[in-house]
Amino acid sequence: MNPVQQFRLEEKGVRFRNPYFFLRILLLAFFVFTPFMFRSFEVLDVVLKIIIFSALVASYDVILGYTGIVSLGHVLYFGIGCYSVGIFMGNLGWISYGHLALAFLIAIAVSGILSVLIGLFSLRIRAIFFAMVTLAFMEFAFILSSQLRSITGGDDGISFKLPGILAVDYSIGHFLGIELTGRILSYFLILLICMILFLFMLRFVHSPVGRVLQSIRDNEPRSIALGYRTYLFQVIASSFASCVAAVAGACFAIWVRYVSPDSSLSVSIMLDVLLMVIVGGMGTLYGGIFGAAFLMVTRAFLPKLQVLVGSILPGVPMAARLSERWLFYFGLLFIIIVYFFPKGIVGTVQEFFSKRRTS
Amino acid sequence: MNMPHPPIIETKDLTIRFGGHLAVDHVSLQIPPFTFKSIIGPNGAGKTTFFNMISGQYRPTEGKVFLKGKDVTSLSPAIRTQLGIGRSFQLTNVFLSLTVLENVRLAIQSQKDIGFNFWKNYLSFSELENQAYEILKMVLLDTKWNVPASGLTHGEQRKLEIAILLALETEVLLLDEPTAGMALEEVPSILELLKQIKNRRDKTILLVEHKMDVLMALSDSIAVLHEGRLIADDTPEAVSKNREVQEAYFGGGRARG
Ligand SMILES: Nc1ncnc2c1ncn2[C@@H]1O[C@H](COP(=O)(O)OP(=O)(O)OP(=O)(O)O)[C@@H](O)[C@H]1O
Ligand SMILES: [Mg+2]
Repeated sequence: MNPVQQFRLEEKGVRFRNPYFFLRILLLAFFVFTPFMFRSFEVLDVVLKIIIFSALVASYDVILGYTGIVSLGHVLYFGIGCYSVGIFMGNLGWISYGHLALAFLIAIAVSGILSVLIGLFSLRIRAIFFAMVTLAFMEFAFILSSQLRSITGGDDGISFKLPGILAVDYSIGHFLGIELTGRILSYFLILLICMILFLFMLRFVHSPVGRVLQSIRDNEPRSIALGYRTYLFQVIASSFASCVAAVAGACFAIWVRYVSPDSSLSVSIMLDVLLMVIVGGMGTLYGGIFGAAFLMVTRAFLPKLQVLVGSILPGVPMAARLSERWLFYFGLLFIIIVYFFPKGIVGTVQEFFSKRRTS
Repeated sequence: MNMPHPPIIETKDLTIRFGGHLAVDHVSLQIPPFTFKSIIGPNGAGKTTFFNMISGQYRPTEGKVFLKGKDVTSLSPAIRTQLGIGRSFQLTNVFLSLTVLENVRLAIQSQKDIGFNFWKNYLSFSELENQAYEILKMVLLDTKWNVPASGLTHGEQRKLEIAILLALETEVLLLDEPTAGMALEEVPSILELLKQIKNRRDKTILLVEHKMDVLMALSDSIAVLHEGRLIADDTPEAVSKNREVQEAYFGGGRARG
């Protein structure tokens, strides 16, 4: 047996004993028990959005962090997922499990085909071209969704109901002290779907194709010289990521039961995704979770700082005035993270531990 | 003399112009299969550029490249590698963030039929890692297999460059100054490796080198480029006696190494 085989065997042996494995279990446990630990809908809402955005950001990381191509329109596929569910449930009013599943499938198919076409047409040319074309398509979709009133509900969007156990007024009864409503069941359905998406993405980046993608990110001309038609691999990566984003979007629609151009297709969501991937760390997948958590949590709770400070230090106007500027603190936090975690939270921590192990 | 095999690589009037500068000027060369040909010439003679046109990184302004009689001039470098033209680079060109083993494994993977597999773990193709490890042994890099390529010394990166080329298992090997920048005591082991490959007579080797003693011992023939033109193409003995070559290369331009 050669040292490589030896090493791989040892690696396998400690698969369920290494700290990363425990961290994963811990994270999953946290998400599973959130509905039981926190009774407030507000917290549940933030945690669920973290789950969905983790999947969306990780899918973006497959393109940006693993393949090294910049897309500025990734949220387009998220929007396709949202609208697919919205149109089936709301506009067409086909409220059944079958149609919900069909909405998912159509979202995946449309995203897959569209991203292959965009990729084939624009990845061959320079990288910046892909960034511009994807952005243009997203803008175009945004305009379409706000103009095609009869289908998309225009700027007002579509509100809709969900079938059976996912309906808001559904309830199976009590369990561990909470009422298992349609909301809670939706939460668990979405958690399950996003977990499956994560497993798919992990498998994808650790597949032979995933390794070629990393070689492209490192040194594309060399990858070509090895005989890889890199542009086909880039198309595969971008369409895989797009399908994942579409499913994440469909999940988002299930949660909020409402779609509109601003909530599902806007440039500001794209910016959020970019911030999340930078904060979490590129090329790590798990970075998505931390990036999403950072943004969602600060966004949700920094504005409350004012209330908090007001209750702790009543009658100190200086403190009240300072706590008003939550967006400023958000920016400051962001800069601090980027400064101290240049490879993102997960990337920098991983680097720290792998350095400690080798030294 | 017996009829040689039809050439495996042939260039016809291969020419490339950068702006007004003729970097390679109507070079026609035939390389019989399973032979060892060296290409020499002073700095800037166009050797690397000539390689770049054979392996496809550059498109010639004029002229054609044939592989086994097939015109490959308009094919991409990726396709040419798949057809059998492998290439190592003068300026080290590896995947810096990937491990040494992974650099070589990727080269092996590209020649297998698993290229587009995205549903299995890459480690489930364990024979690829084993083959990669064997190749690392050949270039004396096996102890460094788990180090990222960025953690290698310059000389070690040169060896990795060669390992990647060998891993491709192509019929044609283009080696652009493989030993340049290597520690002196490491050079003999690499030359020994080249000699072994040559003696197996199952590969066609094109070598750009400046070390004359290396070339004399290894080459079946030597082609000399000077200012983009082919000024000689003959046996090592004949080339070393050639007046024009002596003036251009040994006399005028100082050889490195
Ligand atoms: N991409 C390029 N653009 C412009 N000029 C180029 C390019 N590539 C090569 N050249 C020019 O072509 C000429 C030949 O360069 P080349 O690198 O092929 O020489 P060489 O024989 O490999 O030299 P050395 O022994 O230094 O490696 C040089 O004058 C170089 O400046
Ligand atoms: Mg050169």
